[in-house]
Amino acid sequence: MTDYSIGVTGMAILLILLSLRIPVAFSMFVVGFIGIAVLNGLPAAMSLLAGETFTLASSAELVVVPLFILMGNVATETGMSRRLYDAAYAIIGRVRGGLASATVIGCGGFAALSGSSVASALTMGKVSLKEMDRFGYDPRLSTGVVAAGGTLGILIPPSTGFVIYAILTQESIGRLFLAGVFPGLLLLSMFVGTVILLCTINPALGPAGPKTSTAQKLQAMVGAVPIVGVIILTIGGIYGGIFSPVEAAAVGAGFVIIIGAVMGNLTWRGLWNAGKDSVVTTATVMLILIAAHMINPFLALSHIPQTLGAWLGGLELPATAVLLLILGCYLVLGCFLEGFAMLVLSMPIFFPVIISLGIDPIWFGVLVVLTLEMGLISPPVGLNVFIVKSVAPHVPLSQIFRGVLPFWFAMLFTLGLLVAFPQIALFLPDTMIN
Amino acid sequence: MQAIKKWADRLTSLAALFGTLGLMVEVAVILVDVVGRYFNNPLTGAQDISQMALIFIVFGGMSLCDKLGGHISVDVFEPMLPRVVIWLGDVIAPALGVIIFVLLAWTTYESAVLSRMLNLSTNIINLPKATFQYVVIAASLITALGMLLKTIDVAFGGGADQKKPELGAGS
Repeated sequence: MTDYSIGVTGMAILLILLSLRIPVAFSMFVVGFIGIAVLNGLPAAMSLLAGETFTLASSAELVVVPLFILMGNVATETGMSRRLYDAAYAIIGRVRGGLASATVIGCGGFAALSGSSVASALTMGKVSLKEMDRFGYDPRLSTGVVAAGGTLGILIPPSTGFVIYAILTQESIGRLFLAGVFPGLLLLSMFVGTVILLCTINPALGPAGPKTSTAQKLQAMVGAVPIVGVIILTIGGIYGGIFSPVEAAAVGAGFVIIIGAVMGNLTWRGLWNAGKDSVVTTATVMLILIAAHMINPFLALSHIPQTLGAWLGGLELPATAVLLLILGCYLVLGCFLEGFAMLVLSMPIFFPVIISLGIDPIWFGVLVVLTLEMGLISPPVGLNVFIVKSVAPHVPLSQIFRGVLPFWFAMLFTLGLLVAFPQIALFLPDTMIN
Repeated sequence: MQAIKKWADRLTSLAALFGTLGLMVEVAVILVDVVGRYFNNPLTGAQDISQMALIFIVFGGMSLCDKLGGHISVDVFEPMLPRVVIWLGDVIAPALGVIIFVLLAWTTYESAVLSRMLNLSTNIINLPKATFQYVVIAASLITALGMLLKTIDVAFGGGADQKKPELGAGS
């Protein structure tokens, strides 16, 4: 058997294990370990297992993961996320579709704290769905906007999606965070635009909310000051060169804890639960990352990425066509695979191809993360849709999927804009870091 | 069997306790370092401590993660699979986990022996590397024990895998 055919056999076994619902991390571990043992001997596989595990579990760069997760969990526990929604609600809730737009803005703000799409959808779903129900919003719009708005968590920095991409590809986390700012804001605007368009075409979808007095508006805005302050401190700190991403995450988590405690919204039990949840989520993420570092050398040894690259090169397609082909693969895979697993599984294969074609890896990272976002609301396994379903059990799943459809197209349009105009993503990192 | 399960649960809780404490220590250490740097007095070895605390966070939560069904899996084909295949998958998954974590504990032990022999330590405040490798070993064995009990439970007791929405990074 050639190295390549061993690699292909390994990938086939990986697919079989995945379809048997074996956890992604375990499947990658097994295939990677056995593959390396076959190609390079058992001692090499054993040494890699011990070495990679310890190196990754004590990596200075990965310290950022549990800290940002903790920041989001504590913000949820203390009700800070709700106050952000309340402020947006007080300001634009009165216009047609205003509550849905406020939800999108709330999701964007929460995304700047947590970096998790699922957490954004869950938190904003709990906060906003009841209100939209109360004012007679069509469930398709209300659930669709929460599911789609929640996906902003993975694009607007700090994003764990970018951190994982950076670790897998050895790119700069800071550059990726900067590259995500304008695309994130662009997508947020697209979502608000979609709400306005939908409510203009069919006003019954999102009737106007209650009128709020200037005093109420001011009160709601004052309530959002702490959370906005933390966002400015962490994100501004990174972009201003005051903190490294790790320090910003710790400062953000620390401030959220202090503010929660001072305002009396955070109990010891609440802090403990937020910490424990963060530790569990971190374990999930890190195990997959460690497994990815087992399977990557196996793929490299079996020459699968090089063979794929040579095949694509042989097609003599322009780089943009190859990029579109890869993004198309992500859109299809996103319908079936969990986004994070898809990123980890595909990157060792696609990334060398991208580099060989001279495509900017930061730009590619933003495009990939956006396609992962689309996967979060694509049937049949759109995770955010199921999260919203768990918060709104009375709305049929088919209606939620119909509700997210306009937002999915808004994302596709944004993806098209980013492909056509790479500077949307690259302007900030190129000007601020270079 | 019940007594072993009780002990496994206690060990899982203990590991998670260390993990959560590790996270709190990490936040505190980096905060002190950042504030100290502002006053030209950064915390010596803050990076060493935060990196080693990450080991507690990652491995402390591993067993609880498995207990809560937190590992990401692809269940899109589940409706198409016969019941016996689903059951087989439920048995194979934790069984593979046992093998992986025992293997991890074993290889880390060999590496820890080497670390002790060579006196390997962190760069700034010379924390001994072997100590943290023992943490990995202990937590891996606790995780393996939990998975072994799960395998036995599903294979012979008809227990089903718990499920909850995953909160992975990509999500």
